[in-house]
Amino acid sequence: MDTFAALSQGLMIALQPMNLVFAFVGVMLGTAVGVLPGIGPALTVALLLPITFKLDPAGSLIMFAGIYYGGMYGGSTASILLNTPGESSSIVTALEGNKMARAGRGGPALATAAIGSFVAGTIATIGLALIAPTVVDIAISFGPEDYFALMVLAFTTVSAAFGSSVTKGLTSLFIGLSLGLIGIDLQSGQARLSFGVPDLLDGVEVTTLAVALFAIGETLSVVAAGARADEIIEPVKGSVFMNREDWKRSWKPWLRGTFLGFPIGAMPAGGAEIPTFLSYALEKRLCKKPDEFGNGAIEGVAGPEAANNAAAAGVLVPLLTLGLPTSATAAIMLAGFQQYGLNPGPLLFVTNPDLVWGLIASLFIANAMLLILNLPLVGLWVRLLAIPRPWLYGGILVFATLGTLGANPSLVELGMLLIFGLLGYVLRRYDYPIAPVVVGLILGPLSEQQLRRALAISVGDPVVLFQSPIALTLYALSALALFGPLLFFLATGRKAPVGGDED
Amino acid sequence: MSDTTPSSSKTADKAGFAIAFGLAALSFVVGWDAWRLSSVNAHSAVGPAAFPTIISAGLALLAVATAVEAMRAGPVDRPRDEIVPMAWVLAGLVGQIALLPFLGFSIATGWLFAATAKGFGKGPIWGHFLAGTLMCFIIYLIFAKGLQLSLPAGPLERLI
Amino acid sequence: MNQNFRGALLAAAFAITLPLGAAQAQMSDMKIMAPAGPGGGWDQTARSMQQVLQSEKIVPNVQVLNVPGAGGTIGLAQFVNSAKGDPSQLIVGGYVMVGAIITNKSPVNLSQVTPIARLTGEYEAIAVPASSPLKSMADLVAALKADPQKVSWAGGSAGGTDHITAGLIAKAIGIDPTKVNYIAFSGGGESLASILGGKVTVGISSMSEFESQAKAGKLRILGISSPERLASLPDVPTFKESGVDVDIQNWRMVAAAPGLTPEQKAEVAAAVEKMAKSKAWEDMLAQKGWVNTYLAGPEFEAQLAKDIASTQTILKDIGLAQ
Repeated sequence: MDTFAALSQGLMIALQPMNLVFAFVGVMLGTAVGVLPGIGPALTVALLLPITFKLDPAGSLIMFAGIYYGGMYGGSTASILLNTPGESSSIVTALEGNKMARAGRGGPALATAAIGSFVAGTIATIGLALIAPTVVDIAISFGPEDYFALMVLAFTTVSAAFGSSVTKGLTSLFIGLSLGLIGIDLQSGQARLSFGVPDLLDGVEVTTLAVALFAIGETLSVVAAGARADEIIEPVKGSVFMNREDWKRSWKPWLRGTFLGFPIGAMPAGGAEIPTFLSYALEKRLCKKPDEFGNGAIEGVAGPEAANNAAAAGVLVPLLTLGLPTSATAAIMLAGFQQYGLNPGPLLFVTNPDLVWGLIASLFIANAMLLILNLPLVGLWVRLLAIPRPWLYGGILVFATLGTLGANPSLVELGMLLIFGLLGYVLRRYDYPIAPVVVGLILGPLSEQQLRRALAISVGDPVVLFQSPIALTLYALSALALFGPLLFFLATGRKAPVGGDED
Repeated sequence: MSDTTPSSSKTADKAGFAIAFGLAALSFVVGWDAWRLSSVNAHSAVGPAAFPTIISAGLALLAVATAVEAMRAGPVDRPRDEIVPMAWVLAGLVGQIALLPFLGFSIATGWLFAATAKGFGKGPIWGHFLAGTLMCFIIYLIFAKGLQLSLPAGPLERLI
Repeated sequence: MNQNFRGALLAAAFAITLPLGAAQAQMSDMKIMAPAGPGGGWDQTARSMQQVLQSEKIVPNVQVLNVPGAGGTIGLAQFVNSAKGDPSQLIVGGYVMVGAIITNKSPVNLSQVTPIARLTGEYEAIAVPASSPLKSMADLVAALKADPQKVSWAGGSAGGTDHITAGLIAKAIGIDPTKVNYIAFSGGGESLASILGGKVTVGISSMSEFESQAKAGKLRILGISSPERLASLPDVPTFKESGVDVDIQNWRMVAAAPGLTPEQKAEVAAAVEKMAKSKAWEDMLAQKGWVNTYLAGPEFEAQLAKDIASTQTILKDIGLAQ
């Protein structure tokens, strides 16, 4: 196997000074644009792609990788500091990350996100280089019934984000599920809950809902609380960087997140959100201080961020081995590849090995560049929080509406931002958790479509749902997630370490 | 949100009842839409109405559960919300939507910034409005010239 | 949305247009609306036009405006209402819009704009995994006639071009189009995975989606919706020669504002023609892997009217329109 020879060849090219400059520029631009809420990596890459037109193939590929990773990291930064998730896969990051930032631990949160992303990106890129063909065979063997089982697992573990009251958690979830119904039903082409408004036919945008619930809802509840919430946000409390304990609590979640993110990201319908949910739930279960969850547990940032990045590399598995673009970002990347004469597909590794290894090497370099660039900037980023509150929240609202308008300049979209912002305020006011609303919006339509696909293919025979070994395994895991704590209790006589308030 | 002031009711949590009522209303809307869809000729095993029906039923159950909990919980003391600052922020958001089609991104979003700052107790509103508009105009330039994304333009944006 | 990114369908570029006389006074500003989000096919078409119009100095200053939503009908409605009589505004659209106008019961339609020219297009193809017992269109027709429910089709969203093509095929061979067991997927990658994994009987999509898999021997293309065999794929039979009388093209076009004078219309058409016949446009299409199917004037209008009528009928037949 000359895999490593090919890879080091690619690395040599990527390490040329001029190419490092391109990587630097790409990462900077990607981060700057990716920070805008509502503008995720897909849009960032789409917007910045023309800039790379004029470079030579190696240089543009490297800059492109930089933009891609920069865009993702920018999304996490906005989630942590401003509570405005830039993309659906960094929503979970906002849960714990923003709590940490408010408690003066924004530095460690950003650092664990950056290092976790780096670790996950590196491991996943190695996985991409070495085991892509094997992983893709498994990924392709997932049918709709298996995906449905995966959704069931995601639903059962989501209860980790429910907070203290089951009724309230379920209420939030069902509000999200109802919102997920809005729009044209993919299978039948029928409009649901759209009331003749054409803008509703495409459904509720996940980032619009998340930005509204998190950023606008929060702004409203802070302003409504008035003097009562006059806590001073300390930009830095303790070390600006991660201390020994942070490291100790982060490294395992990084690895676990990676192993959840990479395979699920490689599945054609896996996506990057589900691994972040699963990682959050898993870390909450395994955490020695579960009551810290909801108040800024570093595990809740480290795990999902690693999962999200590993999933992003996982998406490249079907893209490079089969030419399957399985996410919006992958579709944009495909457009990017084509401009360099790369035609992803089953023969890519055979016909263009140098370009493939060049790309993989570029991903390494961009990943490392991101880390080198951003760790020193962490101190600067957290200073954002030192801005006086009137300006900080004014700025948050400007950015929240800007991101929404940039992606879709429509008044209806802004109206939704306002209505969901009010919803977020009401939910906060009466102690309903926020995250399950977003989870319901994402998982509801996915699970419905997969179930209906499975049943359509089997011409209505429900037995198909329980035939595949993959699905049965996933159901067993769901049962374990649901009843595990109970068994734990029965076996040891003490309560399983779950719970803790969230939001 | 008048029912959020320290509760004067004697027996139950009024807000809980309000939420239960809201859930029941949502359940009704979703269920009604499902009923409308069920008449559509769907030639597959599970049609477009199945999931809405389940969700509607779930919402109805949650409405009942919320009402029961509100009854059991009795009156809940919740701190009073500041209405005026909140109204400023809402006025900022609504004003932005109203101004955007006529005055463009910079002015409308400048107003949002000024109104939010005012809600958080920072005046003068005119100064913030001018500063916010200037900031948003710069953002507009970056978007339009750097990223080729067109944000809604108004008199100010047409100057360039 | 990604279905047009891929593939290098290198077909002969044919252009049947009459020279419209030298372009008179040059336009200085132009605004092109892409009725979709940034990154998709229509957006890329609009931005490619922008680039070529500017680099060829046909129009010095071109802006692109994105108005996404509801298959382009939101952008179309906005365009109809705001651009009336303004020759400096254009909108990009395509065949998908024809279907969306009908299924979404859009209050505006394409008769309210001034169609200028078709720019590029793609043909639909049917593919099966290499291991499938179906070897030809004839096998598929036989399987459909035996039991249409047993044949599951993977394609894009319900009511879209893929679904319409499947419906047309069923109708052409005398099967009730509502009996087509059509499974909608949200992205090209997801549906392709289900075809490769053998989860569905056949897949239907634009040819470029299948091309690299077919070259690698993982998929077999049963037929293509072009009127004649493509020069780039001489071994792939058309639906028509397999006895299924369906030909359909998923095209993209550009249209001008409603209420233009004949002179204004001629001016816009001349600018678009100059762009479509430039070397820079040819290079741009080659880079994106798009086929030049430029068609303008009365021929395009006739083609458009025909497509609208047949789409209306088939959507009614598959139960998506009244």
